[in-house]
Amino acid sequence: MSETMSEFSDWFKDTFKQCYCKKGNLVDEERFAEIVQLVLDNEADAESRSIFEEKIKTCVKSSMSYEKEKCIKDEIKKKLCEHKAAMPANLVTTIRKSVDL
Amino acid sequence: MSEETAQEQQARRQDYSEKEKAEVFDGEFMPHVDSMYNFAFRLTFDEDDAKDLVQDTYLKAFRFINSFERGTNAKAWLFRILKNSFINEYRKKSKQPNKVDYNEVEQYYNSDDVDESITTDLRVETVQHMIGDEISGALNGIPVDFRTVIILSDLEGFTYEEMSKILDIPIGTVRSRLHRARNMMKEKLASYAKEMGYNK
Repeated sequence: MSETMSEFSDWFKDTFKQCYCKKGNLVDEERFAEIVQLVLDNEADAESRSIFEEKIKTCVKSSMSYEKEKCIKDEIKKKLCEHKAAMPANLVTTIRKSVDL
Repeated sequence: MSEETAQEQQARRQDYSEKEKAEVFDGEFMPHVDSMYNFAFRLTFDEDDAKDLVQDTYLKAFRFINSFERGTNAKAWLFRILKNSFINEYRKKSKQPNKVDYNEVEQYYNSDDVDESITTDLRVETVQHMIGDEISGALNGIPVDFRTVIILSDLEGFTYEEMSKILDIPIGTVRSRLHRARNMMKEKLASYAKEMGYNK
């Protein structure tokens, strides 16, 4: 891969820092949403996750942004799972026949 | 992507007996047929195309079964085959002009049911009625490359690393594509909410 998991982790930490001003206030919500996505997708390593969790405990804006992204992701997942296309009844048989099983 | 040499690939090749092939096929491949069909349907928006795509994927999987190592990630392996088949065959096919029954068209346009809105994407509309609510509708309305990452991540639960292998793209691209795809979904859902009379 051109980007290894450790480079990915570095990206997380660098990007996370850039979301905040020197005073520690969230200033880049768009970038922060990308960070939240990694946390929600379980792609952040333990260290990055811990930095993130500490921050959202103390920053209301970050916490709200996290909750909003979480809610959207959960809803998308729920609805997509509820509306799965029904598989044709004969598909399994057709596949098995086509490979002579 | 991983830079495996032809020799390494050859060394990893299995030599399954007929019985073992059947075991791998039934035990490791077939449990994913439902997810495969759902993925294919969300890519093609067409029941027959989805069915053909899944069948074709399983045929290829059986043909190349010796390059699959038992106990490894069969689902990701199958999804990768399906995605490649979709790109190589079905996308090409969908770019060809559709075959039209002109008698049917003439009959339709001579009837009183002619509707100006017929020019919208009928496939997307049809699929919305079939599997749809506003979230499925929003998903169906975004370009296929972005739709794919949402399905793989949110519906099928693949990791970024698995997705990068399935899609043949770097992990960083998976991350950014997923981010863009979710933003597209949000925009579509915001428009929908506005249409329904909800404000921010």
